[in-house]
Amino acid sequence: MILKDRVSRTGLRITTIQVSIVLGVVAVILCCSILLFLNRYRNAMVQSALTSSDQAVSQVSNTVGNYLQSMEQAMSLVEWSLLESADNRNQLLEAFLTFRPDVVAVTSYSPSGKMLDCWCLDREPREVIYQNLSFNLDRARASGDAYMTAPHVESIFEGYYPWVVTMTVPLESGNQTAWVSLDLSFSSISTYINNVSIGQRGYCFLMDKQGDIVYHPQQQLLYAGLKSEDTSSLASLADGAYVNDTVIYSVTSVAGSDWRIVGVSYVDEVVNRNFREMIRLSLIVGAVLLAVAVLTSFLLSRLLSRPLRGLADAMERFETDADHFTYLPVGGTREVQELSGSFEHMVLRIQRLMTTVREEEINLRKTELKALQAQINPHFLYNTLDSIAWMCEQGRTDDAVKMIHALARLFRISISKGHELIPIAKEIEHAESYLQIQKYRYKNQFTYAFDVDPACLNYYCNKITLQPIIENAINHGLDLLVDEGRITVQVRQDGEDIVFDVRDNGVGMSDELIQSILQHGPDDRTGIGIRNVNDRLQIYFGKQYGLHISSEPDVGTCVEIRMPKIQEGDYETK
Amino acid sequence: MRRNRWGAVWAAVLCVLLCSCSTSTGYSRQHTVTLVAKSTKTEFWLSVFAGAEAAATEYNLKLTIIGPNTEEDYEAQNQMVTDAVNEGAEAIVFSAIDYENNAAAIDAAAQNGAKIVAIDSNVDSEAVSTYIGTDNYAAGQMAAQAALERVKTPLKVGIVNYDISSANGQEREQGAVDAFTASNRAEVVSVINTLAEARHAKMDTISLLTTHPEINVLLAFNEPTSVGAAQAVEQMGLSETVFLLGFDSNVDTVDGLQEGSVDALIVQNPYAMGYLGVESAYKLLIGQSSGMERIVDTSTQIVDRNNLFDVDSQKALFAFDSR
Repeated sequence: MILKDRVSRTGLRITTIQVSIVLGVVAVILCCSILLFLNRYRNAMVQSALTSSDQAVSQVSNTVGNYLQSMEQAMSLVEWSLLESADNRNQLLEAFLTFRPDVVAVTSYSPSGKMLDCWCLDREPREVIYQNLSFNLDRARASGDAYMTAPHVESIFEGYYPWVVTMTVPLESGNQTAWVSLDLSFSSISTYINNVSIGQRGYCFLMDKQGDIVYHPQQQLLYAGLKSEDTSSLASLADGAYVNDTVIYSVTSVAGSDWRIVGVSYVDEVVNRNFREMIRLSLIVGAVLLAVAVLTSFLLSRLLSRPLRGLADAMERFETDADHFTYLPVGGTREVQELSGSFEHMVLRIQRLMTTVREEEINLRKTELKALQAQINPHFLYNTLDSIAWMCEQGRTDDAVKMIHALARLFRISISKGHELIPIAKEIEHAESYLQIQKYRYKNQFTYAFDVDPACLNYYCNKITLQPIIENAINHGLDLLVDEGRITVQVRQDGEDIVFDVRDNGVGMSDELIQSILQHGPDDRTGIGIRNVNDRLQIYFGKQYGLHISSEPDVGTCVEIRMPKIQEGDYETK
Repeated sequence: MRRNRWGAVWAAVLCVLLCSCSTSTGYSRQHTVTLVAKSTKTEFWLSVFAGAEAAATEYNLKLTIIGPNTEEDYEAQNQMVTDAVNEGAEAIVFSAIDYENNAAAIDAAAQNGAKIVAIDSNVDSEAVSTYIGTDNYAAGQMAAQAALERVKTPLKVGIVNYDISSANGQEREQGAVDAFTASNRAEVVSVINTLAEARHAKMDTISLLTTHPEINVLLAFNEPTSVGAAQAVEQMGLSETVFLLGFDSNVDTVDGLQEGSVDALIVQNPYAMGYLGVESAYKLLIGQSSGMERIVDTSTQIVDRNNLFDVDSQKALFAFDSR
């Protein structure tokens, strides 16, 4: 049970490690692909932001360009109308101003820069113009061609100061009018530019080549000093799109003028917002994939590795303890089930084979032992018969009769109708007969005594268990003893066991001798008896039973024989 | 047990991922801001409103602009503040007609949870988070200095001021009077407090100039009084003899600058006042008020005939209106 628990726990740890590894790998791959993807995505977003900014700006640029072109056409109309007679001219220009409400005023100038005439709907210029911001003689002379002023306030009227830009063109020489100026309000330009949006907050503004702002959707914020544009650095940029940390600038020149359109959009808005959205999406997808990976690995492990590991565990257990192994089939896929079935079959087969082998081995040993038993008896028989013969020669017929009786008892019990196990009472009788015989042979050099628990008498034991021990005690312990020897045989119960103690007061044995008696091969004649007893007990009852020899030099030896309590009939099953 | 722990760990990781994914991107609620002005008519205030609206658009605010009919009606202002708060205004951008008498209404509004931003003219209330406008004392000094620089003869100064309880007018007057006194060659002959309305200002100025013909320097401290004073000077034919210094930009005073009746203008930055006022209100409402200045000085510029059409003067004087 403990073993099983440990194994299953290890199995689980392996599973979690595997799952972690799978997760780790999936996570790393996911991270890499997400990072790569996001990087690509951001670049693409920046690129598309630049493109859309560029497109928006170039559209504005086209519109403003068209506007300027239409203004040039208007200008040629004005030039042409100036050639007409005064009445016609006024009429034409009146109509022109009505059609072009973004033209605030048309003014004409003499070669010396004096204002000749001014046309404006519903307004007349001041009689004394303090300063005319619409016309600058030096600039007009220096330019030599049509030019556009920076934004300024219309300053020629009383109580009317709109912001305008002025377009001035020189007329062909020889004419009394040298220059004509159109003051353009921002109404048209503002509609072109205000309506442009790049992203949510992006916008366009109009500046000239020098970087002075012509029109900005938040012009008043600029004028009030609440906002500024970095126009000086923008002025130095060529047409194109530029991106820095926060802002995307897109600069395009307006065809046919020195105006430039600048588109401003915010990276945070057009790129980062989408980018963050994509990060969020990627994270969700990543999390879902990770979860799927976990689930899949768990399922796969349940389907494949777990039953396989169960099989492997079963094999391991079978390897460590084949006898007590019972196989529980594992489930899983068909292949695993087939494997499991084969293994089960094999286990049963092996266990059967093992049982057979063990039985055969035991039988073989029993046969061997019986042969050994047969070997002992003749040796003893010669000596005893010698002793009897010698007694008869001396005419000690009583002793000889006792000896022969004892010998007869000895043999009868030894044979015991071929049974291996005999009642302990019989065994004691056997031992006593043997001691009797030996006592005669050794001329009463030793005494012996039996101390038998009567409760033990009805249990069974292996026959000829005590005799080899006693033989050993006489040969090794008492033979060399000068004093009178003494052998005590005690039989007692010890829990579920029966213990025989055979004590002598002989010279004792060294540890080496004890070891050699218990282990020496069959060549050593003297040792055969004791070893034989030990082997038989262990074969019959198991390794925990058998002999234990303790000896002390010059004090004596005690051999303890331990065997289980065997009732009559029990031994038949053994 | 072990498995449970791992499961818990993975579940936690998934939860964190999913939570980070589902952080709300919802729009924040539109805040309501009310701007209570001193007037809704003058160019100065229209420019303030333009700035305020620009900020409201930029920060997605619901902006209501109101003001009393006359620049003396502080009671109407108080009522407007109370009404605005009752109608759910979360912030009041306020320009006080009366430094003291407007205070109670503002305190009450603040107690009801409204954030207060003062622009142009401050009010005597602790509830004002920030004041955005001209440094009026310095503007007064600047006006006096401009007169002292441009008029070489000893100065006999008349001052046309508006409502006596209005903080900014009084501060400007104080600045000017201090500067004149310090110069030792100027004498403030008379100070009149007229209504902030051109027609009244004109009449009062005429009577001032009639009573004190020795006056050769005239200071008017806001837009309507400047317009009225300019009209008075022109009507009396005193353009050459009286040095008129006005406040703020108005087409009439700009015309006057070109024609001679007006000699210099102190131009404030009303657009910035409106814009920054509403912007500050927004910042207060969304809790970004840390590091906000108690007083924000918007720029002031002096414009006379010589720099009238300089680029900077144009920008300061003339509102850009693309319509």
